[in-house]
Amino acid sequence: MSDPENEQNGIAKGGALDKALSGYHVPALSNDFADRVVARSKDRPEPLPSLRKGTSRNRRWSTARRLTVGALAAGALASAAAATGVLGDLPIRLLSPEQIWSSITGDEQESARRPQRLPASDGAEAAEAPETAIEGPIDSSQELEEAFSRIDQARGDRREERRSRVDQRIDETLEQRREQGLPAPTAEQEERLRNRLEQFREKRDATLEERRATTREELRERVENGEELTPRELIREERAGGLRPEARERLEELRELSPEERRERIRQFRERRQERVGQRLRRFTPEERSSIYDDTNDEPINGAAPPIESEQVDQPE
Amino acid sequence: MSGDSPRHVSGSNEETELVRRIAARDEEAFRDAIARHATLMHRIAYRMMGNAHDADDITQEAMLRLWDHAPRLIEKGRAAGLKLAPWLKRVTVNLAIDRLRVAKRLSANADIPEQVDHEPLADAAIERREEGQAARALISRLPERQRAAIVLTYYEELPNAEAADAMDMNIKAFESLLFRARAALRRGFENEPGRVEGGAS
Repeated sequence: MSDPENEQNGIAKGGALDKALSGYHVPALSNDFADRVVARSKDRPEPLPSLRKGTSRNRRWSTARRLTVGALAAGALASAAAATGVLGDLPIRLLSPEQIWSSITGDEQESARRPQRLPASDGAEAAEAPETAIEGPIDSSQELEEAFSRIDQARGDRREERRSRVDQRIDETLEQRREQGLPAPTAEQEERLRNRLEQFREKRDATLEERRATTREELRERVENGEELTPRELIREERAGGLRPEARERLEELRELSPEERRERIRQFRERRQERVGQRLRRFTPEERSSIYDDTNDEPINGAAPPIESEQVDQPE
Repeated sequence: MSGDSPRHVSGSNEETELVRRIAARDEEAFRDAIARHATLMHRIAYRMMGNAHDADDITQEAMLRLWDHAPRLIEKGRAAGLKLAPWLKRVTVNLAIDRLRVAKRLSANADIPEQVDHEPLADAAIERREEGQAARALISRLPERQRAAIVLTYYEELPNAEAADAMDMNIKAFESLLFRARAALRRGFENEPGRVEGGAS
């Protein structure tokens, strides 16, 4: 075993288990194996031509518009937005697991009950209806993988849409400030902050992806062991899969609250966040702060986001 | 465990050239690729499936996928340098997992089939066969993905990162899978009839 950790935590060399496993010998391939494969290759159809590249809608930063918006997104941090929760302030609804499931499986009856999505800035269409239906509880690996794939598709679309909306708001805000002669970040500040925003996003995405992969492995194992997963269970696991354990607990707790209690929690959360804004601003240079401070005094972008890291909840819509 | 792994290690440039020739339907190049990689793929498939027939089929299908996909591999691998072995391992593992899942669906509680013995029943051969069957039984009790994780890390001695790549997983998720696989293997071993408690490593 080449990994040292295998020696430590795995199957000790020379141990009873090692001895038992080492008896698993593999017979040699038959001598005519290559001839058989080559003969079979003659019957294979010619390779298909390469697929055309998809539209650029899902390719971030691939167009001039994206790059421009990206540059201006630096202003998001210029206004300390990303660090202080503007991403969480967007009016993103938390749908019920059933609503999300119906959007994934294409169940029309359920879809009809879905709340209207907020208009996307780029007129993005909702995720296309799936080709095959997933019926009832998930009890096979194929169904589970299909569900993961659809969830990923929906999540990708949603993330693109959300980022596009964030970028657009930042763009508009900066434009307004410049028009009104208010302080705005310099090109250098924008550049620096743009990099920071991108790093922030990449790091966050990687972390979420890692957490989700672990959750999915557990789900795969449950299904492989014969367990059935209900749509509600799958969606809840998926939603919570990207969260830290404490955020996960908070999410569960929030679900149990009445609307009034939830609103109160949101208010308290915003207060705490404003406090954090102040603390973080102290880390900026005086020049940066001069352009940042005014922005943070702007009316926050209001919405019904819950007092959790709603960017992390990242539900597939 | 992988003492019979291909000794011929080629650079990625050489691999790229080989795949380019396969894409151009060069039969000799295809035979070369089979000679280099089929043994490794067969070992993985055999230990995952537990029988020579399926292992043979999977190895053949994986090689034919190379034949089919060579043009696309060249397109994708041009910039970074093409490495054939990881791609083939991934295809083999996926094919084996698919086949195991289908088999499980068809006969949910089927016993592990006895292998047909074509060898003379000499004592040494019997002992060797029994050892092999015990190991095969242990491995075959694992769920498909756990089985793949054990085959790749224990038998093929791949580092976790490479094994994770072969299973198209990130390293954290793979480590979690491997941890569970080893635990399940150990449990299975300890629970074998006649096994003295604590006898496992």
